[in-house]
Amino acid sequence: MALIKVKGVQKVYTLEKTQMTAVRNVSLEIQAGERVCLMGPSGSGKSTLLNIIGCVDKASEGDILIDGEDASKLSDARLSDFRNRTMGFIFQNFNLIPVLSVFENVEYPLLLQRVSSRERKERVNTLLAKVGLADFARRSPERLSGGQRQRVAIARALVTNPKLVIADEPTASLDHATGKVVMELMVEMNRSAGSTLVFATHDPAVAEFAGRIVSMMDGQVVEDRSRS
Amino acid sequence: MRNLLLAFRNVLRHKRKTFAVLVALIIGLAGLVVFQGFVSDLMREWRDESILSGIGHLQVAGKPGYFDDGEFNPYDYPFPQSAKVASQLEREPGVRAVFPSTGFVAIAGFGDESTNLLVKGYPTDRMFFAAQTGLVKPPPDRFFLGTLQAGNPIRPGDHNVLILGQTIARILKASVGDTVTLMTILPGSQLTGRDFVIGGIFTAPQQDNLFGYTDYDTAVDFTQLAQAPVLDVLLDGVGRVDTVAASLPAGVSFRTWKDLATTFAQVNSLLYSILSVIRVVILLVTLFILANVMNRVVVERMREWGTLRALGTKKRGILAIVVWEGGLMGALGAALGIVLGFAIATAINLRGGLTFNQGAQITQIFVHPGLDSVLVNIIPAALVGGLAALFPALRAIRLSPSECLREV
Repeated sequence: MALIKVKGVQKVYTLEKTQMTAVRNVSLEIQAGERVCLMGPSGSGKSTLLNIIGCVDKASEGDILIDGEDASKLSDARLSDFRNRTMGFIFQNFNLIPVLSVFENVEYPLLLQRVSSRERKERVNTLLAKVGLADFARRSPERLSGGQRQRVAIARALVTNPKLVIADEPTASLDHATGKVVMELMVEMNRSAGSTLVFATHDPAVAEFAGRIVSMMDGQVVEDRSRS
Repeated sequence: MRNLLLAFRNVLRHKRKTFAVLVALIIGLAGLVVFQGFVSDLMREWRDESILSGIGHLQVAGKPGYFDDGEFNPYDYPFPQSAKVASQLEREPGVRAVFPSTGFVAIAGFGDESTNLLVKGYPTDRMFFAAQTGLVKPPPDRFFLGTLQAGNPIRPGDHNVLILGQTIARILKASVGDTVTLMTILPGSQLTGRDFVIGGIFTAPQQDNLFGYTDYDTAVDFTQLAQAPVLDVLLDGVGRVDTVAASLPAGVSFRTWKDLATTFAQVNSLLYSILSVIRVVILLVTLFILANVMNRVVVERMREWGTLRALGTKKRGILAIVVWEGGLMGALGAALGIVLGFAIATAINLRGGLTFNQGAQITQIFVHPGLDSVLVNIIPAALVGGLAALFPALRAIRLSPSECLREV
């Protein structure tokens, strides 16, 4: 069964009197456990489509089902719960909360789920150990390197055991070597967690980490190919 | 709690910025706390002075109407059980003194001059006049009636001796040792008169043009009263008033110092109204500054809101974080202002307070801001901070998470 079903999705932005179509009539299905890369140059609509799939933005037209749930029919509060329980997010600029420590950043999604203190501690410490940051738990994110920050973000995205992990340009703020390490970690952890990974990039080297590459141009899917 | 924690850490994260924003509130509230402490002590001092100026903590009469027009017309308000009530009151804890008093309206004549005056009669050991030289603190079990410009106070055993207000003495062109004739009307329109020797001349603001004092026995004898029309009660403190009043037997009438010190009550109310107006102005300035700051904070941290929303925080969670932040900033500013205010007050007190001389009376005012100033300043400041953050917070949740995430 497909985890994500996108059917005839269109996204139109209105800027003053000008209408700009960011995503045009996109349809695709992503199976559970797949590793999919949305690839394309800036302005191709890959981030917009990723936001729609991640339920942080709404399509102007079309249907989208995530794990059988029509996100467009959920209230804002229920959509927040749905995102929290179903998805993990990794951002280009890491987007860690500066006033929280590394541990607290990873713990935050579990707090929203009201997971018990003991279980939170256990899950966060396990994940921090997996991303190699066990010794940095009490440190402020501002005192970490870019690669370390992205590893914290990966731990935060996976701490709730989400079915879907969304990553928007996860290596764009990192140098090539660090980006490669981060992608390897992301793929490995995603594989061991058994979750579905959808990420956007414009870098062909990063796209190589996907099992399937969906190429976009001017808001449309121009190619959808699986890699063996 | 997680929202409060986030808000708290954000407030502490930008210490300098937060402090700079809160300077107006801190300085304003520090000044307000000092002023409030000064007013509080000043009014406490004035309250005690008013009580000892002839009002007493409590006045007890035989009939309710006495307090309307009986003070100088005691015949219509007999108080036959006054001696019994006095002895009962003396046994109450916290009662310093219970004594009878009376008064009458008289025409004073001396040579070719005459004038009206009000004569109050108190027991001699309950009247206190300050000497002309040297500063004094009046004893708490007597009425402080003024400063003697000439002559001596009435001594126990003295009768038909009058302590006359300076202005009245000037009108009569009379001096200490002179004999003035007082005439008053008894019940049944009977006119009576008696010679009084001027034993002393006193000054007291707004009193020495109106009053003369004699001993209680002379006053009662002259006006042919059968018993005391009113009892004056002095207590250990104002906190005892309600308890002592509650112990009074049924049927008697009483007034507390709050009912009788009307000028004090009016000025007290006026000063506290001024304090409230100043507080409102400070809070309005804070509201304006904090609203601007919180607006900027919300815009600067748009991506943070987007991230929190993406992770699953609901709109009301974001709203709570921003409003908490504003509220905490307000409360923090108020707390710092209050601490500074208390520090300034302590410094003033350590230097001996503020001394005011009024004739022979010395008034030393210390600045003691009460603990109530903590609550009346912190809570409104926190509420204003929260209110200032409300509109920026609504702005933060109006955008979709993706719009917030796009902000750089």
